[in-house]
Amino acid sequence: MDIFCLEDFKVEFEKLKGKKSYSSIEDDIINYFFGKNAQELSSGVRLNNSSETPYIKKRLNGSGGFRFYYLLIIKDEKLYLLFVHPKTGALGSENITDESKAYLYKKVLGCIKSNDLYQLSLNEETKKIDFKKV
Amino acid sequence: MDCLSHKSEISKTFSSVRNFSFEEKKVSIFDEERMNAFLDAILEFKNTFQRKTEKIIEINDRIERVTWFNDLDEESLMLINDLISSIKDLHSTLIRQYVSLNLIRSKGIAKEEIKNFKNAIDDLKENYQDLESVYFFLPEIPAFKETTKLLSLV
Repeated sequence: MDIFCLEDFKVEFEKLKGKKSYSSIEDDIINYFFGKNAQELSSGVRLNNSSETPYIKKRLNGSGGFRFYYLLIIKDEKLYLLFVHPKTGALGSENITDESKAYLYKKVLGCIKSNDLYQLSLNEETKKIDFKKV
Repeated sequence: MDCLSHKSEISKTFSSVRNFSFEEKKVSIFDEERMNAFLDAILEFKNTFQRKTEKIIEINDRIERVTWFNDLDEESLMLINDLISSIKDLHSTLIRQYVSLNLIRSKGIAKEEIKNFKNAIDDLKENYQDLESVYFFLPEIPAFKETTKLLSLV
């Protein structure tokens, strides 16, 4: 599975990674998203009622952990990370609004069409995520 | 004369220590039993909340799986609407239970179990809100519907 993300995701990721209480975010992404197939990644809450291109909200790292929003395009074996927020702590929030979910969903479609994305890969030691502009 | 009164005082002190020591030895056995009963009650309390939490987590997983069902008809949507109402009702009952634990929580008893219980209740709330979004709110947002249509063409 090739993994991409929106600029919004990269900004949030870097902001959270810099905070001690959210520093597990990089390991959480590596452990959950990398080296998995579409079936393994098809869990959580499916927001868009689509089997081919499921838009998913996934809770990671327990109840107080992170909420990831991502889109899978199964036939292309591609995954797009749209947004992440923690549930608790100084930067935590309960949920995002339906309007925000719709906004991110529309935005990822535009970014896919215009190639305005970052591709995620792991460094040699597979301990860090590299972001490369597509 | 002084010496005699001292001896008497020492004897009285000895007697007082001896009696108290004897009583305390008996009491400590009694206390151990009470302590064990108290610890058993805490353990049972912890187990009860652990079981409740596991049940809520299981329900949360089942609710998430509902969002993966395809081609739901009107009757199924009505069932989902009933399900959402029922989860809301369950959530309010569980929150009341959580609030009633305030005193126990403030004493630091079963802290971890109560925290996990609360987290599972919070997830339950998030899940019924998500379920409502998926089946009743997001499909009503035109841009959302349009994006789903366009994505199927990508």
